[in-house]
Amino acid sequence: MKTLSNNLRLFWQGALLSYIALFHWMRPIQYMASKILMPLAQMFFFVYLGTFATSADNSTFYVVGNALQIAAVSGIFGMTMSIGGDRDSGTLGYILGTPANRLVVFMGRAFMNILDGTLGVVIAFFWGVVLMGLDLSNTSIPALALTILITTISTCGLGLLMGCLSLITVNVMFVNNFVYFLLLIFSGANLQLDKVPAWVQATSSVLPLTRGIAAARLLVQGASLAEVMPLLLGELAVGLVYSLLGYLLFAVFEVEAKKRGTLEVF
Amino acid sequence: MNIRLLAKYWRTILVVAEMNIRQQMTDGFILFTVLFQPIIIALLGLWMLQDKGPDAAMFVVVGSGLTGLWSSLLFISGNSINFERWTGTLESLVAIPTPFEVIVFGKNLANVGQSLLSMVLGYFIAAFAFGYSLNIQQPLLFVASVVLAVMAFISFGLIIAPVFVMNPGVRAWQNAMEFPVYVLCGFLFPIALLPGWTTPVSYLLPPYWAAVALHGTSTGGASLGQTLFAWGMMLLFSLIDLLIASRLFKLMLYKARADATLGME
Repeated sequence: MKTLSNNLRLFWQGALLSYIALFHWMRPIQYMASKILMPLAQMFFFVYLGTFATSADNSTFYVVGNALQIAAVSGIFGMTMSIGGDRDSGTLGYILGTPANRLVVFMGRAFMNILDGTLGVVIAFFWGVVLMGLDLSNTSIPALALTILITTISTCGLGLLMGCLSLITVNVMFVNNFVYFLLLIFSGANLQLDKVPAWVQATSSVLPLTRGIAAARLLVQGASLAEVMPLLLGELAVGLVYSLLGYLLFAVFEVEAKKRGTLEVF
Repeated sequence: MNIRLLAKYWRTILVVAEMNIRQQMTDGFILFTVLFQPIIIALLGLWMLQDKGPDAAMFVVVGSGLTGLWSSLLFISGNSINFERWTGTLESLVAIPTPFEVIVFGKNLANVGQSLLSMVLGYFIAAFAFGYSLNIQQPLLFVASVVLAVMAFISFGLIIAPVFVMNPGVRAWQNAMEFPVYVLCGFLFPIALLPGWTTPVSYLLPPYWAAVALHGTSTGGASLGQTLFAWGMMLLFSLIDLLIASRLFKLMLYKARADATLGME
């Protein structure tokens, strides 16, 4: 019982403090710029590009795709910086020097980013409705909310893996920017995946966001939760696989770094 | 200002540009910003606009290159002074007889110049991966437009860098300033799609006139008069930006010396 309570405390403290550390250098207005204005501008760009490429009638396709894609801001950048930040700020050695449960430490890094990412996607949908004419009158809002949550969890799973890679590479910003922009292509946020080459479709199928975006589009068209459930389960499974890979890499990295004495070597 | 002094400054600009490129070629974030991000945007644009034919492909090649130019200006040129602070070389650079703005001009030249590479790579991707036969419709006018666009971007960058140094709060808005300019300057779609009230804002942005000239001359979609007007606007903005930048650099260095904060964030 005591172990459970300690682990819960560790999880919560780790989640909260890593999140505060992520944004401690920002003032609220700058946080708003990063979390509201940047995603809005990115959505506008791709929605206008998409409607220019096809027609204004297709705006829903791009609004929904790019609103869900916002999950990757917290999922990739937030997660990478939450985990990699320990190395940058010199706290990694202390964390790995404690007897703390590694899984709890690791998952704690994801918790606040999942909440923050979910909020980001909700804000993006709000902009979609208010500014881009997104019609949610036929949409089951609870099902859409579940889709947003699962997609954000799954994207944070990939973020956990990227975060671990950030512990063994100097070019963290290269890695997470690269993955973030690749998701813009491969997630299907901006492309109809049945019209792209097979290798793009194959890549999409093993990435987070793809099934979540497809599910959200179906829900906006009026589908029920039961109809999109296979997609949501697939999305969750993809996220869990990435989380597991991330955790394994974290464990391997810890052992290797201690063995070679390269814990904080850049 | 005599010719000899100008020649000295030009030599300094070229040396700074060369040093800057050598340093930056090892930085993953910079490589991503000037090369990979525009290429990913080009790929995405080419897929999205594939039903619109070769003219749209040329539009995407030029437009994605422009996104690279702007992102490089915003993130790399914007931090060009701060970078010297971080590496502890700012005090030495300010103390030498060459005006500091000449140094930053050379750094911006390198940033903008290397970003043009993404346009070339985008061209090859469109030609070889997508099989487009792309021809620049007005090659001489296009080259002249590139030269003027480079000048306009460098001059704009000379304003951004001191503003970011004097106002760290503004620098925190960097991430939020990237895509609005892509949208407002019509890099990958015409600004006619945007609400009418945004048009005057676009007219005030030098990258918009660069986009007008480069898109117009590459696709042949602009008349000579329109291209000449865009050139005139780029020259006008370059001149205004240089004048403002000159004042800003004086103010920045005065403040830094008076407050003893030259090497401090």
